[in-house]
Amino acid sequence: MQINLRHKGSITILDIEGKIIGADALALKAVIDEQVQLANSQTENDGRLNLILNMERIQMMDSSGLGALVASYTSIRRIQGRVVLLNLGGSVRNLIVMAKLMTIFDCYNSEAEAIAGIMKS
Amino acid sequence: MGERTEQVITLSLPSSMQHVYLLDVVVSEILKEMDLGEDVQEQINLAVIEAGTNAIKHGNKEDLSKKATFQFVLADDKFTIVITDEGEGFTRQEVADPLDPENLLKSSGRGLFLMEACMDSVTYEANGTIVKMVKYKETPAP
Repeated sequence: MQINLRHKGSITILDIEGKIIGADALALKAVIDEQVQLANSQTENDGRLNLILNMERIQMMDSSGLGALVASYTSIRRIQGRVVLLNLGGSVRNLIVMAKLMTIFDCYNSEAEAIAGIMKS
Repeated sequence: MGERTEQVITLSLPSSMQHVYLLDVVVSEILKEMDLGEDVQEQINLAVIEAGTNAIKHGNKEDLSKKATFQFVLADDKFTIVITDEGEGFTRQEVADPLDPENLLKSSGRGLFLMEACMDSVTYEANGTIVKMVKYKETPAP
């Protein structure tokens, strides 16, 4: 798994690539936790983190990856932030649907829509 | 009537989470040799990763002296995977339903559910230390 971190204005975007299996979920969670702590320590955005997880290049994700997404959702909500999912591929989308997590996450098919979705809320 | 063929491949791994990647490579290569659709291959791959993670992490508690063993049985009509760990076992009925609204926001507990959703049959033997998963090949229409 590889993670590329970038910013667009006040929004943090993680481009995730490869397989999220085994211990990868811990690495993903650590990167997100670091961003939560960073946002929470700054006055910008009132200490909130607005995060887009770009999942276009995820080949496969297991239950620990799902767990990392859910844990990130709860930690970001705790600081009044938002996390949305971008470009879910077929197998990852199926996984999220099976686990009934579509009700929790807002999902978008383009980065512009994801940014607009975060900004309007 | 043609002769039925069956191949058995066995993999034994020390219980390190790093070996989940090796398991993924092995099962991916085995699946490439089988006449299965891409979606079905992904389902089986995920189920094996989940079962392997359970055996290494929850069964053997990442004790390197304990082995997680995978037996892949390739038959004409089905693919069977038997996963054995050296842990204390568990009772399937005592594992919470991850789809229950009160469990949706839990960060773990979805592995068995995904295994059972991806495979045609998942059975637990020897107090859950042996897990047998089966995926049947689709029978072509006559």
